[in-house]
Amino acid sequence: MNINRPCGTFDRNYFQAKELYRTPLRKVLLALLIVGMYILPLLIGDYGISILTVICAFTIGMLGLQIITGYCGQISIGHAAFMGVGMYTVAILQRHFGFNFWLALPFAGLVPMFIGMMFGLPALRMKGLYLAFATLAAHFVIVYVISNWRSVTNGTDGMWMKRPGTLFGIDFMKDRNYYLLVLTITIFMTYLATNLSRTKLGRSFVAVRDNDIAAEVMGINIAYTKIMAFGVGCFFAGISGALGGAYYEYVNVEWFGLDDSIWYLGFLVVGGFGSIFGAIAGATVWKVMDEFSTLVTPLAETFLGGAAFYASAAFSLVFYSLIIIVFLVYEPRGIAHRWEMIKRSYRLHPFPY
Amino acid sequence: MAEFTRDITKKREQRYSYGLMLLRECIEKKRPLTNPNVKERKVLLRAENISIAFGKLQALNNVMVEVKEGEILAIIGPNGAGKTCLLNVMSGFYRAQKGDVYMEEKKITHLSSHKIAELGLCRTFQNIALYTGLSVTDNIIAGRHPHIGYNFVTGMIYFPWANKEEAYQRAIAEDIIDFLELEHVRGAVVGMLAYGLRKRVELGRALAVEPRILLLDEPMAGMNLDEKEDMARFIIDINEFLKIPIVLIEHDMGVVMDIADRIVVLDFGNKIAEGVPEEIKQNQKVIAAYLGAG
Amino acid sequence: MEETIKSIVLGLCSGGIYALLAVSYVVIYKSTRVFPFSQAAVLIIGAYIMWYCLIAWSLPIWLGFIITCAGGAILGMFIERAFMRPLVGQPILAPIVVTLCLMLFLRGIGILMGKGDIQGFGESFLPVGAWEVGFLHLPKIQVYAFILCGVLIAALMLFYEKTRTGLGMRVVHEDHVVAQNLGINVKRIFQYSWIISCVIAAIAGMLLGNIQGVGLALDANGLITIAAVLFGGLESFAGAIIAGLAIGILQMLTIAYIAPLLPGETTMMVPFVFLLLILFIKPYGLFGLVRIERL
Repeated sequence: MNINRPCGTFDRNYFQAKELYRTPLRKVLLALLIVGMYILPLLIGDYGISILTVICAFTIGMLGLQIITGYCGQISIGHAAFMGVGMYTVAILQRHFGFNFWLALPFAGLVPMFIGMMFGLPALRMKGLYLAFATLAAHFVIVYVISNWRSVTNGTDGMWMKRPGTLFGIDFMKDRNYYLLVLTITIFMTYLATNLSRTKLGRSFVAVRDNDIAAEVMGINIAYTKIMAFGVGCFFAGISGALGGAYYEYVNVEWFGLDDSIWYLGFLVVGGFGSIFGAIAGATVWKVMDEFSTLVTPLAETFLGGAAFYASAAFSLVFYSLIIIVFLVYEPRGIAHRWEMIKRSYRLHPFPY
Repeated sequence: MAEFTRDITKKREQRYSYGLMLLRECIEKKRPLTNPNVKERKVLLRAENISIAFGKLQALNNVMVEVKEGEILAIIGPNGAGKTCLLNVMSGFYRAQKGDVYMEEKKITHLSSHKIAELGLCRTFQNIALYTGLSVTDNIIAGRHPHIGYNFVTGMIYFPWANKEEAYQRAIAEDIIDFLELEHVRGAVVGMLAYGLRKRVELGRALAVEPRILLLDEPMAGMNLDEKEDMARFIIDINEFLKIPIVLIEHDMGVVMDIADRIVVLDFGNKIAEGVPEEIKQNQKVIAAYLGAG
Repeated sequence: MEETIKSIVLGLCSGGIYALLAVSYVVIYKSTRVFPFSQAAVLIIGAYIMWYCLIAWSLPIWLGFIITCAGGAILGMFIERAFMRPLVGQPILAPIVVTLCLMLFLRGIGILMGKGDIQGFGESFLPVGAWEVGFLHLPKIQVYAFILCGVLIAALMLFYEKTRTGLGMRVVHEDHVVAQNLGINVKRIFQYSWIISCVIAAIAGMLLGNIQGVGLALDANGLITIAAVLFGGLESFAGAIIAGLAIGILQMLTIAYIAPLLPGETTMMVPFVFLLLILFIKPYGLFGLVRIERL
């Protein structure tokens, strides 16, 4: 019994059968949501805009990790490093080659894509735990290269990055306009990712995750699939890094250490594996937790007394990991699954199942 | 290709009794289906002098098997005889230490498994290897993978021809589901299904790869009489409608004697007999090794 | 030539501690098939506990040692009970994420314990100074640490071979279900594995804190040891010991030869390049067991 559709929704042809938003109500709700996100900056202040911008940037990165780990099952503990590569690509192109932001943005996706495909080569030979080690090692190597290639990346001092400037008369130096740009790109990327999940490549991702030996025998080239998973996922990560870095107008290698890679993976688990909504939920939870910790830290300082700076570092470490572990223990399929269960109980009310 | 947009209500009347019309059209676009001459069937797949050993265990020892056009070949033998091993070598999953596999007189031994599947050698698995997170329809559409037309960039942007292609592939998958009588579980996630239904989905997925030859590994294991008869009916229908040879590994002697055109008997990695069912029934070596007297 | 031999000998000495740490990883992986990334952070906790005992509370060394071991044991019991047991039967990603987050959690606890970054024990509790053997300059700390690690590893090997619990642990490594059918309490074996591993890691942390200074940088050693464990094979003690010594030698050789060539913090990066090489050439390590997939 298919409870995803209301009673009386019949399909007359195959186009309708595979539609994502089948009923008129859902289409209207989706349109309202998108329009609402565009109107939101008028209602909330600058602080809210900054949060939303970063949530959108994180969402793109989470989508990338969802493609690699959630859809294709390749565990990647190096995702934050690819985001950093994206950030630094734009900064380097702007500073050393004088590109403007628009020209540099595609490269911000392509360069991590190729590096990701290279680091996806270990994925062909090993799975699961071993691949986790390989991506961990890749993370350290990338961070090392970025930190120490002083002539190009300015080492650990970080680099300045310029925002887009003016295009079509819109000044992107203003936060609100920049938010609208990031929102547009995020919506486009989500569209790409959703389509990916229901077309040939996306199905092969899920096939490789579920049973890769059988997939090979059934005609799916798993080498190509795994490398493409890393490629597409790292493309998303690179774009995410570029947008986030341009918001702060400054990039620094310290922003993507091992901690951030682990938080990416952890909050993806919190959001839910294998669905677009899970990635968005994970990114939102992460940023909300970030803001929460910034608010709570002054209280923690007065409570613990003494030196202040370590409290914020310890707080995020302790708090986030507890949240992730609690979610893994009690709701291993994440917020997306819990939301599905809530919707299901609403649809089936008053029956239990 | 216009047929897949037709109304569902009309579909049942226009359907052939076999129900694999769209799949047959797909196959016919690439190669003509000929009714095999029963007297002189040509050899389609030939596994020549296959030897493979795992450490000290000799799994197959100089085994030669030929599959002719349009026949149903049964491979029987006690457990551990190397039957699944032979299928694995044929589909490219294992590398034999000696010997070659030829399909239509072209050597396919060195090809990787997915290339062999694209050429048309499809198989099912003894312990079911479905994509457990996907639904039945998605599993079968996933089987269509080698024959889907668009590349991934157009897929992501979802150009209109990608949309049409998706609907077409879905139509083919639905045809296969109709044929295998799986309509009532189309949306169910495969992990939840019963064993017999899962075996049918496996068969459906193997069909979706547009087989030139179908290798079935114990398709009737663990089924009762009803389900066995259903499965036998499907196999005979596929054989007659798509005009492809089917290789069958099976333990149920009743089924084997009834539907097989030829039988190959393996025992501890050696081929001990080959021939039509009547001869095999009388063969002394086979009786001693496997069938038992009486 | 002299430099190389010096580096190798020094590497062997520090490799003793890495071997101990590698053994702590293997103990858990062997019985539970979970790779405990969190042991890297237990190092920090162990070092801080010892620091508290010696400096903050001024206890004698032997009491500090016992308290560190006890702290490690309690930590191991707590981790296994609270975090690992609910994860039984979940896909492979769940324990990986949990142990990674545990590593960060314990690091956070370490920051809270240490109130920031504290360097040095003040005085080492192992004898300082060095012996001169020919042209070799052996710091006494390193040699005593090496001897202590050797004793601990030998004790652990004896435990595995001779005692009934050790036999139980070896059986659980092979197959959980079979072990349960044989009457072995698998849950208790998991607890023992975690307790032993955390105690060993706490002791290793104590020694490393003595040598390198008590601080948050200790978990770098844990991450380096991951490369060692993979080199030796995830399921083999002999491999872990050899690999720990090898990584110690590799670190010393890096400091001697590679660090002058490349800028920056090469001692962290080179083991990971080594790890990548191993994963490409021989993914299962020297003595690891190869998994065959059947269809």
